[in-house]
Amino acid sequence: MTDDEPGNTSDQARLLRRQVLQLSALILVAIAAFFVTRSLAASNREMRLADGAAWYGRGQRDLAAGNVKAAVDAFRRATVGSRTDTRYVLALAHALALDGQDDAARRVLLGLRETAPENIDINLALARLAARDGDVTTAARYYHNALYVPWPDDQTATRRAVRSELADFLLAHGRTAPALSELLVLASNLPADPALHRDVARRFAAAGDNRHALDEFEHALRAAPDDDESLAGAGQAALALGDYARARRYLDRAPDRIAGVVDARQLVTHVIDDDPLAARIGGTARANRLRTNLAYAADRLRACLATGPAAATDADRALDADARQFETAHRGSTAENEDAAEAGVDLASRIVTAATRLCPPATPRDRALVLIAQRHGDSDR
Amino acid sequence: MTNPLPRTLQLRLREHQIFLVLSIVIGVLAGLAAVLFTVAIDQTSHRLFGLTPSRLRLFLIPTLLSVPTGVLLATIFPGVRGSGLPQTKAAYRLQGGFIRARVPFGKFLTGVLSIGAGHSMGPEGPSVQIGAGLASVIGRWVGLSPTRARDLVPVAAAAALASAFNTPVAAVLFALEEIIGDLNAPLLGSAVIASVASVIVERSILGNEPLFHVPTYHLVHPAELAAYAVLGVIGGVLSLVFCKGLLGARLLFRRLPRWTMSFQPAIGGMLVGLALIAAPAVMGVGYEYVDQALNGGLLLKTMALLCVMKLVATIISCSSGAAGGIFAPSLYIGAMAGGAVGFVVHRFAPFPTGDPGAYALVGMGTVFAGIVRTPMTSVFMIFEITQDYQILVPLMVANMLSFLISKRYQPLSINDAILQQDDVHLPPPAADQAAATSVTARALMRADAPLFDPAMTIAAAAARSAQDRSTACLVGTGRRLLGMVTAEHLAAALAAGRGAEPLKELLDPDADTFVHVHPDHPVETVFDRFGQSGGVLPVVSRTDARRVEGVVTLDDLVAFGRPRRQAPKPHVEPAPPVSTSAPSTPASSIDTPS
Repeated sequence: MTDDEPGNTSDQARLLRRQVLQLSALILVAIAAFFVTRSLAASNREMRLADGAAWYGRGQRDLAAGNVKAAVDAFRRATVGSRTDTRYVLALAHALALDGQDDAARRVLLGLRETAPENIDINLALARLAARDGDVTTAARYYHNALYVPWPDDQTATRRAVRSELADFLLAHGRTAPALSELLVLASNLPADPALHRDVARRFAAAGDNRHALDEFEHALRAAPDDDESLAGAGQAALALGDYARARRYLDRAPDRIAGVVDARQLVTHVIDDDPLAARIGGTARANRLRTNLAYAADRLRACLATGPAAATDADRALDADARQFETAHRGSTAENEDAAEAGVDLASRIVTAATRLCPPATPRDRALVLIAQRHGDSDR
Repeated sequence: MTNPLPRTLQLRLREHQIFLVLSIVIGVLAGLAAVLFTVAIDQTSHRLFGLTPSRLRLFLIPTLLSVPTGVLLATIFPGVRGSGLPQTKAAYRLQGGFIRARVPFGKFLTGVLSIGAGHSMGPEGPSVQIGAGLASVIGRWVGLSPTRARDLVPVAAAAALASAFNTPVAAVLFALEEIIGDLNAPLLGSAVIASVASVIVERSILGNEPLFHVPTYHLVHPAELAAYAVLGVIGGVLSLVFCKGLLGARLLFRRLPRWTMSFQPAIGGMLVGLALIAAPAVMGVGYEYVDQALNGGLLLKTMALLCVMKLVATIISCSSGAAGGIFAPSLYIGAMAGGAVGFVVHRFAPFPTGDPGAYALVGMGTVFAGIVRTPMTSVFMIFEITQDYQILVPLMVANMLSFLISKRYQPLSINDAILQQDDVHLPPPAADQAAATSVTARALMRADAPLFDPAMTIAAAAARSAQDRSTACLVGTGRRLLGMVTAEHLAAALAAGRGAEPLKELLDPDADTFVHVHPDHPVETVFDRFGQSGGVLPVVSRTDARRVEGVVTLDDLVAFGRPRRQAPKPHVEPAPPVSTSAPSTPASSIDTPS
């Protein structure tokens, strides 16, 4: 009998029908097994998560107790239970960094970052590690990675704090230009909170941008007109900008307890009250101011030279004679002769500069005489 | 109208379709079994040890729990000791893919008990045996033809491994390379389908998490290749130490009295318990520590210590007969060794280098390639785990060196060597077998092989030998061969006045070899080995190299005549030049390719 004969083929057909039924049964078994396995795997996952949480808690306690090595071990075990849980990995990296294992901490964070390159916390932790190593470029890159991803709405303040941190880091490493960029971004999005404006203003001042510093201090003062810190800051920023009238206005209201206020106030007062070339003063007043300034400068230099400073030169000694000569040559003429007055201002400035160089520190009046000369010299130019 | 297909052809097509669907179902079931097995081990280990086990617990649990496991392994499930891969290979190559129904269940139970109790072993090998066992049972139940039922075994093996490692490509390669022994096997399609089905199921349950979280590594400097080559050499040496150590320790356990079989896993468990007290990190699978090594989370000293401890603990666990695999331990040992080498290179190399984690990654592949002897699988496995193309070149360099060194000094893979130790001699892979001549030892041998009783006196044996004009006599009882004594030995013993002593006294208790062939050996091999045999060449079974199926004498060869062939083919034989054999009997076998 061949395969094609009816008896044989019908047997095979019956076998195939039976096989189809058996396959169907197997598929049903597989489906049931799938759900059973999935449920068991889920409970296993729960168990691992619970283990992870237990180790994490233990690590936190070890860390609080100052047992960093035990904390590292506990956090490592926590990450086993849930390898992608950012909290655990960040805690591990933090503990490693505390233990002085910066490289290991970096590797842990970089490993996690591969799965979540835009994670703020990871990038921030990497930035701080790089900042600790003084690697400005890398730190700035990770700070930017953290800053330029979308942040949750309720974390705007944190984002602002991170940008401030970056600006401080850049300023600390002498990177003024990028720091100013960060500060400008920061200033453009500040809410009407005087404290925030004041902090940004301080950073602008530290970066040498007194214009923006003054703007931000004034912003703060609009919301809180009697804020002492802002008054002092605004006064000092205005002083640095040469806006002495505005500086005096703020410094007069600023309390003495704030460092530098008294000094700045004296300086401003001298610059305004001792300026022989100030507008709207009479000729007599101008002559008096010039005489007084020159006398002060000459006395300062004489007193200084009397102590016999080793660095004194003949040119320094000649300045005293120059002062006497100027007094003799222009006695009574400076009230009308503006050129002579300017020459007197310049001479006083040169004398106090020399005196300050030979016998520091400079007094507020010394600095005032220099500023007066600079003010008019700049405006002449 | 076109003619319809003949009815028989239609039926055959439907059988193909059924096999295809069955491959998918087997893939799903094998994948589920592998996931379930891993979960069960995890749960058992967690419940037994808790978060921070005490020293006493670390010692007692593997010791005590190995007692019932040992009893189960010795009495109810004798075929599931060790990893299960050698048994699966033997079932596919020698037994038509037949695996008893109790094997997958026994493997699951004893595997969970062994690995969960802290034995230093992995779940992958057992998963393969469980999957293959299920496939074999289902194939028979569905009534597939014997060939089709046999084909399901490697298909299920691929699926189980794919699920266990989450590496579908490497799993398929492994099934072809190791189980079938032929990368061109026609089962490739079915293995791929089953592997994919298994991985889909596994990922839908466990998520698409790779086995290890590995940062992106690459070759930092071309000179680093030299460092990776050194790692390959170290990996090769470690593989060699592992294989030799395991086989040696296994032999020691096998030489213990038979009644100790039930307690051997407990002896292993006790020794492993001591190791756990010293280094708890070598417990069980240990992938969490591999993960740490890959991510640079372990220090040099820790990795070096764990490498040695894991090697020792795994040798003890495996040789004692506990149920568990060697894939995970080999990855562990490799990662620790690689990480340690990486640390040294990173610190002292005069050129920029990658992180130690990169070396740990490559180290995993080198030791795996050296121990399991599947170089393609090892490369693809690491590639799939990392999904990083950059690491391939150093990986291939290191893997090949490790593979070559290991193969040079330990010709058989560990799985084949274990089978040889159990007197199971695998036939050559299908492709080589097909190329061989169709005339085999079976056609030449005489089935009525006379065995000399070991209790017979030497004088009687010499007389019978002279009467038969045979140049050697096979000593054994029934069909069971104990060894061989040549006529010269008999004559010398007689001359020494030892004629009254029993014949077994002439068997060398330390000799582990005797020349033999298997019934499927080509006639060229028979001729070649006959020259080494002393005049009588036993033909023994492949599944039990102690069972004599026949004998070939000079008369048989003369009667047959040497076949004329244009170019004598080199004999292809997977067996080693010298194979060790059962320790219960002093003699052993030579399975020598010429």
